[in-house]
Amino acid sequence: MVASDLLTQSVVNGLLLGGIYALAALGLSLVFGIMDIVNLAHGHMLMVGAYVAILVFTATGITPLVGMLLAMALMFGLGVLLQKVLLKHVVDEGLEQPIIVLFGLALVLQNLGRVILGGDARTADIGIPGNGFDIGIAFMSFPRTVTFVVAVLLIVATWAFLQYTKTGQAIRATAQNRTAAKYMGIDTDQIYVITLGIGTALAGAAGALLSMLFPIDPYVGWSYLLKTFAVVVLGGVGSVVGTLVGGLVLGVSENLGALYLGGGYRNVVSLLIFLGVLLVKPEGLFGSSGGGE
Amino acid sequence: MSIFQRSPGESLAEDRRVQALGVVAVLALAVVPFTTTDSLTGLILTGLVFVMLGVSWNLLAGYAGQISLGHAAFFGMGAFVSAWLTTPAAAGFPESIQLPILAAVVVGGVTAALISLVIGPIIFRLSGHYFAIGTLALAAVIELVMLDRRDLTGGATGYYVSGDLSIGEAVSHGDTMFFLTLIATIITVAATYVIVRGPAGLGMKAIHDDEDAASSLGVNPLKYKMYAFVVSSFFAGIAGALYGHYTLYINAQSTLAVTWTIDSLVIVILGGMGTFAGPFFGAALFLLLDNGLSAIVGGFSSAVEGILIILFIIFLPTGLYGLIKDYLVEETTDTDAATE
Repeated sequence: MVASDLLTQSVVNGLLLGGIYALAALGLSLVFGIMDIVNLAHGHMLMVGAYVAILVFTATGITPLVGMLLAMALMFGLGVLLQKVLLKHVVDEGLEQPIIVLFGLALVLQNLGRVILGGDARTADIGIPGNGFDIGIAFMSFPRTVTFVVAVLLIVATWAFLQYTKTGQAIRATAQNRTAAKYMGIDTDQIYVITLGIGTALAGAAGALLSMLFPIDPYVGWSYLLKTFAVVVLGGVGSVVGTLVGGLVLGVSENLGALYLGGGYRNVVSLLIFLGVLLVKPEGLFGSSGGGE
Repeated sequence: MSIFQRSPGESLAEDRRVQALGVVAVLALAVVPFTTTDSLTGLILTGLVFVMLGVSWNLLAGYAGQISLGHAAFFGMGAFVSAWLTTPAAAGFPESIQLPILAAVVVGGVTAALISLVIGPIIFRLSGHYFAIGTLALAAVIELVMLDRRDLTGGATGYYVSGDLSIGEAVSHGDTMFFLTLIATIITVAATYVIVRGPAGLGMKAIHDDEDAASSLGVNPLKYKMYAFVVSSFFAGIAGALYGHYTLYINAQSTLAVTWTIDSLVIVILGGMGTFAGPFFGAALFLLLDNGLSAIVGGFSSAVEGILIILFIIFLPTGLYGLIKDYLVEETTDTDAATE
């Protein structure tokens, strides 16, 4: 039997990690909900964001939290470019073409990551030094706590943007009904560009945060794609609160899976939860189905 | 161009000339082991495996419209099950279950088909994007579990498969495997041809074009999806089993890797998704790319492949086959399921 302090520590660590998962999933959910596209390259974009933070840190010693901002800016640009150059040809054109374009992009990013940076795992885990603190039931590691707080702040910022700005309202209107939004004078093509930009920027941010906790190698893309999609499925497409809860649930269940079944089953647990929810309640535990049918 | 004139509705693959070309191609392939080096034989064997992967994925994705990203799981499970049967001791099984390679390969394919038969009704509750990601997740689960079961799979180090089908001095083990693979490829192509030209093929195209409409006209979508899935998985399993017994080494990390799914997809997209002849062109081009590209672009070959499938699916969705057909025939025919 696992000692109870180990159990609470696992749960706390899981919650802290879950915040980052939620941040990564928010980008995927946004794009899925609004453009009806599953960004198969989302995990690979996360990987690129992580590398940006790692490279900035190893080259200059600047904290990866600044690297994260740079990663977000770069990934926003990549998302805008991707929509303007490639995806505009295939979005709203059925299912197969967007899937394959993004699958191809994932291959390209993974390959570039491997060739340019090598296949070895890298990390910026010493980037935010600081002492953790004890909250009685568990120990709060400093990097885990900081990354969690930053992730939650970014989620709240995205939510406020969608809720209170004019662009945010236009994005939500487009998500509800693209044609109607167009009639109301919303430039929906531009909305798609912004949406993909935000979605990929969030992936970059999540990657940068993860790089402060875990080693990142060029092959992590698929695994993080599945994790983030699992969160989207748990939380329901288009629900910010659902995504946050989904992320926390996934983080905790992964850590408990690793604790009880062994580290090799960490990913298996999240995938099984994912498949289970997908099959039993495809619209997610929160929110409504965002299409994709 | 008069000799290439044809009436609309007649497809390229039905043409006698093309059938004759097929016979010539098979005969040319049959002499490969006797006229070339072992490494070239191996290369062409890999090409045949690519054809099997492409043709089988195309049946499911191109014809029935179910974009599966889990093809590697069936390829890998076919390889593992057949390897357990030819080399039971390495996985801790009793020697009594040992089978000759040919029988083990068939059992490998059948097992892959059985797996799809069991998970099909569950996974087909998902559609569209959810199906694509669901199959990707399923393949990842299978890979992770197999990787963890070191007793069955040798874990990350894998294990050597025993088998020797050499006949005297003249025919090496690789040569025999080449012939088996050639025969399996012919069966795969012939079976797929019969299916897509028959009523089942029509059903698959109907659910691909408009599942609701087909359903309201009495076409059972699940039936045709399952048909395509099981057949596709069977041939992917056979391909994996043959490849595993050609290389005589399997490893959960590479045999079950997502690479095999990527390869199948790239082959079909390059050749022409939903066209019967597409995967042949795709496999040939992919083989060239896979081997030639690394000489030109170094380590960037999979990036180039990624860029190619992006450009093909956007600007040339009928693939190489579409290009060649447009060049040969003015009228386009509608017997192939289009990608759109």
